[in-house]
Amino acid sequence: MDDIILENLSKDFGSFRAVDNVNLVIKSGELFSFLGPSGCGKTTLLRMIAGFELPSSGAVRLGSKDISDLPPYKREVNTIFQNYSLFPHMTLFDNVAFGLKVKRIHKKEIRDRVYEMLNLVKMADQAGKYPNQISGGQKQRIAIARALINKPSVLLLDEPLAALDLKLRQHMLIELMNIHDAVGITFIYVTHDQSEAMSISDRLAVMNQGQIVQSGPPDDIYERPASIFSAYFIGETNFISGVVTAVHEDYLELDCQDGSDRSFSIDSSFQSAPEPGSRITLSLRPEKIAIARNKPRYQEDINMLKGQIEDILYLGTHTQYIVRVGKLKFRVFSQHKRVYFDDKALDWEDNVWLFWHDTDTWVVDMAGDETPDADLNESGNLQRYVKRGKS
Amino acid sequence: MQSTLQSRQDRRRNLSSWLLSLPTLIWLTCFFLIPYLIVIIYSFLSPDIYDVKFEVSLDAYRQIFSGDYLRPFLLSFRLAIYTTLLCILLGFPVAYFIARSKEKTRNLLLIFIIIPFWTNLIIRIFSWRIFLAYNGVMNDTLINLGIISQPLEILRTDLAVILVMVYVYLPYMILPLYSVLEKLDFTLLNAAMDLGANEVKAFFRITLPLAVEGIFAGTLLVFIPALGAYLIPQLVGNQQSLYVGQVITYKIKNIPRNWPMASALSLTLLLLVAILLLLMYGLYRRHQKRSQWQ
Repeated sequence: MDDIILENLSKDFGSFRAVDNVNLVIKSGELFSFLGPSGCGKTTLLRMIAGFELPSSGAVRLGSKDISDLPPYKREVNTIFQNYSLFPHMTLFDNVAFGLKVKRIHKKEIRDRVYEMLNLVKMADQAGKYPNQISGGQKQRIAIARALINKPSVLLLDEPLAALDLKLRQHMLIELMNIHDAVGITFIYVTHDQSEAMSISDRLAVMNQGQIVQSGPPDDIYERPASIFSAYFIGETNFISGVVTAVHEDYLELDCQDGSDRSFSIDSSFQSAPEPGSRITLSLRPEKIAIARNKPRYQEDINMLKGQIEDILYLGTHTQYIVRVGKLKFRVFSQHKRVYFDDKALDWEDNVWLFWHDTDTWVVDMAGDETPDADLNESGNLQRYVKRGKS
Repeated sequence: MQSTLQSRQDRRRNLSSWLLSLPTLIWLTCFFLIPYLIVIIYSFLSPDIYDVKFEVSLDAYRQIFSGDYLRPFLLSFRLAIYTTLLCILLGFPVAYFIARSKEKTRNLLLIFIIIPFWTNLIIRIFSWRIFLAYNGVMNDTLINLGIISQPLEILRTDLAVILVMVYVYLPYMILPLYSVLEKLDFTLLNAAMDLGANEVKAFFRITLPLAVEGIFAGTLLVFIPALGAYLIPQLVGNQQSLYVGQVITYKIKNIPRNWPMASALSLTLLLLVAILLLLMYGLYRRHQKRSQWQ
């Protein structure tokens, strides 16, 4: 079993650079995801690993072997296509058997191995059917069986769940993880769905405009996003941007250009402190913020802001509050806890306190050039940034 | 109550559909059914110098089944088979190429395929005669280029007949092939290659089976007219090898005429085509049954 190594990998389509100088090692046996908006180059990257596109420069290695120029049928890599691409004129058995049949393997062995695969995906009783006679989830299973029968070192999955409905998607996700555990080979998974990527992956890479923005384990990327893009694309977040006016030992003062100097404690153990005078952007996840009517007891490592509720969205598992603090708006997720039911429920126009732990304030941008403008923060989202991305 | 209303509606719908198809029915009766009945009746009559004698005779059929006309039939079948095979071999790559082109180029290429239809068939055949003739364009060019020293005698050979037949019937093969290949999901070929099939295997296991319908349709459109070919053998072929179509014409054109023989030959050809159609239909049904995906 070998690692997949991408070295300075680039792909140009005319003047458009789809994949831009990607360097990455995907360890053997890992379940690795590429996550990004459509057009970010993740599918092109996958197609280069599969062999459907040749790199414009750089190399794809499988262990010590350079496989960049090998045709797809000579690579120990198999793919599950977005629409499964099952052969419509063959039975499910023949679909799964295809990889062995082209290798002219003995019929008896083909039969045994096909049924072994069909049993793995629990489709053995449907072997005689044709692809148009089965459901989307079943097609998915057949596609998995067909791809795994060649015993590849790496399985590529190109948005494999995109065509399924939500419940089935959640179910198949668990099944994919089980199959991954059962066969123990490398899975490379491409998706634009962050919850899929977060839940399934050992590690994932966030891509934008052909480049890897950040790679690492899901919790690392979620809790410590390296850029505005990572923070914005994965999950939901509040951005606070402003000019650093003073840096103290365990907190810094930030001019958010909303008429008040605000002080924020940031977690200094993970990040280097920004210089005074520099423009920075902080990311603060909505579920990290607590909301209360009464001022919380002062603690050194707690940030506090006083605001007014502007909007309340009841979402079942939690409620989303839009809270105005001066010129800034914060999104806050709060779960409904039965113990607080004695309290009077928060209502529109209520004055509230927002507070959060200093380690939850995360500096995502120190250079300042990517910083969303104050007026964008005003409207509570990142429209300008979204437009700049190639989505 | 409701059922009477429904049946009245049904009856009205029946009546209106009959009325609507009446012109076609009259047309087909006058120009298809009645002529065929005349042909059938004539085939059982006796020949006269110009016309027929109204005496029942099975001579025409007796001659056909004793094998007197085996050679023209064999020649016609050979021509039809060669033409069809060559049209498939030449037409498939063209249809494939068009189907894989970008939308704009695709339309342009399709127009190129259709353009020959805008010129009369006889004119196109005559231009081939000019091209292939002993002192024609092709021989002149080849001699001037120094490739050959003696003019090739292609015109008035069976080769010329096949050449022009393929030229005329190729579009009838390309268009149905194109229509199936255009619908072919080319990611299936990616999938096949991903699973270990090289280009050749992917073609024979995926592309070809999925294009079978187009091949069937193209074969019908090429084989059957080729079987009854008259004009092309007459204009570019020689008189030593006469095809069924030509024999039928001569039976009517040359005096003494033999209307019963011409009719009997026509009906035999029709019968053979009908049997062939049934065979192909059977094959097609079997193919469809085997692949319930359609």
